[in-house]
Amino acid sequence: MAAQAIPMVSTASEQAVDWDALAARARVARRTKAVVLYAFLIAVSLPIILPYFWLVTIAFSAKTGVADTAVLWRSMAVVIPAVVAFWLTAALAQSRRQLWIGLAAVAAIAVVAFALLVGPDLHLGNFIFLWEPDFASVVRSRIGEVKGAVQFPNVWHAFGNSILIAGAQTTIVVTVASLAAYYLSRFQFPGRSSMLRSLLVLHAFPVLTLIVPMFLMLYWIGLLDTLSGVIIVLVAFELPFAIFIMKGFFDAVPWDIEMSALTDGASRRQAFVSVVLPQVRNGILAIAVFTFIRGWEEYIFVFTFLIRNSNWTMSLYMYWVRDDVMGVDYGVVSAVGVFYLVPSLILYMAAQRYLMQMSIGGVKG
Amino acid sequence: MAKIEFRNVVKRFGDVEVIPDMNLVIEDGEFVALLGPSGCGKSTSLFMLAGIYLPSGGELLFDGHVVNEVEARDRNVGIVFQSYALYPHMSVRDNILFPLRFKKTPRDEALARVKAAADLVRVEELLDRRPSELSGGQQQRVALARALVKEPKLLLLDEPLSNLDASLRLSMRTEIKSLHAQLGVTTVLVTHDQIEATTMADRIICMRAGRIEQVGTPDDLYLKPSSLFVASFIGSPPINLIAGEADGGTVSVNDVRFPVDGASGSVTVGLRPEHLRFSNTGFAGRIAQIEPMGREILYVVETGMGAVRVLEQGSAAGHSTGEEVRIGFQPENSLVFATKGQKLIAGAHVRAPI
Ligand SMILES: Nc1ncnc2c1ncn2[C@@H]1O[C@H](COP(=O)(O)OP(=O)(O)OP(=O)(O)O)[C@@H](O)[C@H]1O
Ligand SMILES: [Mg+2]
Repeated sequence: MAAQAIPMVSTASEQAVDWDALAARARVARRTKAVVLYAFLIAVSLPIILPYFWLVTIAFSAKTGVADTAVLWRSMAVVIPAVVAFWLTAALAQSRRQLWIGLAAVAAIAVVAFALLVGPDLHLGNFIFLWEPDFASVVRSRIGEVKGAVQFPNVWHAFGNSILIAGAQTTIVVTVASLAAYYLSRFQFPGRSSMLRSLLVLHAFPVLTLIVPMFLMLYWIGLLDTLSGVIIVLVAFELPFAIFIMKGFFDAVPWDIEMSALTDGASRRQAFVSVVLPQVRNGILAIAVFTFIRGWEEYIFVFTFLIRNSNWTMSLYMYWVRDDVMGVDYGVVSAVGVFYLVPSLILYMAAQRYLMQMSIGGVKG
Repeated sequence: MAKIEFRNVVKRFGDVEVIPDMNLVIEDGEFVALLGPSGCGKSTSLFMLAGIYLPSGGELLFDGHVVNEVEARDRNVGIVFQSYALYPHMSVRDNILFPLRFKKTPRDEALARVKAAADLVRVEELLDRRPSELSGGQQQRVALARALVKEPKLLLLDEPLSNLDASLRLSMRTEIKSLHAQLGVTTVLVTHDQIEATTMADRIICMRAGRIEQVGTPDDLYLKPSSLFVASFIGSPPINLIAGEADGGTVSVNDVRFPVDGASGSVTVGLRPEHLRFSNTGFAGRIAQIEPMGREILYVVETGMGAVRVLEQGSAAGHSTGEEVRIGFQPENSLVFATKGQKLIAGAHVRAPI
C-alpha cells in the first residue's frame, strides 16, 4: 500500500469550529440509532413471542366444541404492552440495578393483569391425553360423536420413543463425530482434504431427495418400521456437519498440550480423554444439544419409515392428534403441542449458558 | 540421569530433510544449550529426544541403549514447552500431579512430591489456581515443577524464557541454573538467544539448517568460532565483518595491513566491537550514531567498508556524531575467515577480551 502524505494547507482565515453544534449532531444521531434499534427489536420479537404465547394460552383455556377467541384478545392485551414495556425498560435503564427493578415491575404488572384478564378461563382439562389413552373418543363423545376415533397409543409411549430416537442419535453422533474429527484434525493421510470437502458437500444436499432410496434400503435390510432404522438414517445425515464442527474445535486445541501429556506418561488414549476432550467440552455440548433437538423434532423420516402405532414418536402423535381431533377440540391439539415443546425448552435453558459462549474454532483443511 | 547420544540421526518430514545427519554426545549431568536461528531444527531434535518424533534414520541412545522406538511415556523425560502447555482445565496442583497419575504413585506420596516440586520453584501458594490465573513467569515455574516432579532422567527446555520480560528472564536464568546445580539432571536447553546459551550452559551446540556448526564451551564459541556463522551468531553487539585480501601472512583491508598466520586469498575479517578502539591509525571513518548502553557506549562508524560498530568503555560519550575518527585494533584479536567456505583460517591466538 502506498501511503501518500497529505499536505497540510494552513489558510490565514481558518474557520472557527462550532463544537456545540457537532456535539448536538452526534447526540441526535445516537438517539435516532437507539430508537431505530429498539423499534426493530419490538417489531421482531412480537411475531416470535405471540404464537408461542397463544399456543400456551389456548392449551390452558380452550374448551371442547367452543370457538372462543375473546380470551386470546384479552391475553394479547397483556402481552403486547408487556413486550413493548420490556424493551423500553431495557432502553431507558441507566444502570444494571434500574434494569432489574424495571423488568421485575413489568413482569409483576403483566402477571397480575394476566391473572385478572385470563386467569378465570384457565384449566388443565386439555391435558386429558396424559392420563386417558383413549382421549379421542372421550373428547368426541362430548359433542355426541361416538365412532371413528383413531386408536392412539399411550402418549408416554410416544414420548419414550422420541427420547429413545433423539438420545440414541445424540450418543452415536457425539461419539463418532468426536473420534472422527479428532482423527481428521490431527493426522495427515492421503485424501484428507477431499474428505473434508465432501463432508460439507454431503451436508448441502436436501435430504428429502434421498427418501425413496433410503426407504428401499431399510426395507431390504429389514429395518423398515423399526426405531433403529430411523436412528441409523438420522445419524448418517447428522454426522458430516457434526464432524466438521468438532474438527474446528479440535484444531483450536494446541498440539503442545497433547505432546506434554504423552511425555508425562499418558498413552494416546489417556491423553485424548484427560487432556484433549475437556478442551472441546463446549463443542460436544453444542452438537449434543442440536442433534438431540434435531432428533426430537424429526418428522419426515419417522413419518415415512415408521408405520405401527407402537413406533410412533411425539411428532407422529402430534400429527395424528391434529388429524383426528383438530375439528373437535383444538385445545387438546395445543396441549399436545405444549407437552411436545417442553423437553426442547428445558434442554435449551439448561445448555444456553454454554451455547452462548460457544465459539466455533477456526476451520481449516 | 542419563548420557545422551545422537548417532547419524536423520529427521525428514515428508520430502523435507530437516536434520540431515546429527552426531552428538551429551554427558551425564551436563547442561547443554542447543543454539541456532529460528527453523534450524532445535525443537525437532528436542522432540526426538522426548519421543514425540520418531527419527527417520540413525540411532538415539540413552545410557548406551537405543531408544529410537521407545514411547514417550516410557522415557521418563521432563519437558517444558515454549508455550508451557499447562492443562488449562486443571488446577496447578493437578497439573503438577498429572505425570504421577500414570506411575501409580500412592496418593500421599504423590501429594508430598507435588508439594516438594512446588517448593522448589516457589509456587506453593498458587496450587489451587488455574493456569489462566497465573502470570507468564508463574506459568513457567509451574511447567518446570511439572517436568521435575517425576524426577526425570533428562530435562528438556524449549525456549523456556522467550515469553518472559527482560528482568524476569534474568532471574529465571539464574534460577534454572541453580536448579540444575542442585538436582544434577542432564539438561538440554533450546534457545535462539545467544546470551541465554552462554550464561546458562556448560556447553553450547550451535546449529544451522539442521547441521551442527560447532560444539564447545561458551568461551570456545566466542574466542574460536569455527565459522563465520558462529562468529556472527555469538556476541552482542554482533561482530563486524569486513572483506579483505590475504597474501602470505599479511591481510590488507583497504589501506590497513596487519600480519596473521598463514592466510591467503580472499578473506573476511571478523572484529568484535569490544576489540576496536579509537586511535590515530587504522580505518578512517565518521561517527554516524551513538548508542549509550549504560556502562559502555556503542558507536556506529561509517567507513569505506560500510558501518563498523565500536564499543567503548565509559558512560559519557567522548565523541560526537559527525566526528572524523580512526579505528585501531590489535591484530591478534582479529578472526580471519576464508570467504570461500567461511571457515576460520587464522587468528587462532586471539586473547580473551579485557
Ligand atoms: N511437523 C512438521 N512438518 C513439516 N515440517 C516441519 C514440521 N515441524 C517442523 N518442520 C520444519 O522443520 C524445520 C525445523 O523446525 P523446528 O521447529 O525444529 O525449528 P526450531 O529450530 O525449533 O525453530 P524456532 O526457534 O522457530 O522454534 C522448520 O523449517 C520447520 O518448517
Ligand atoms: Mg522451536
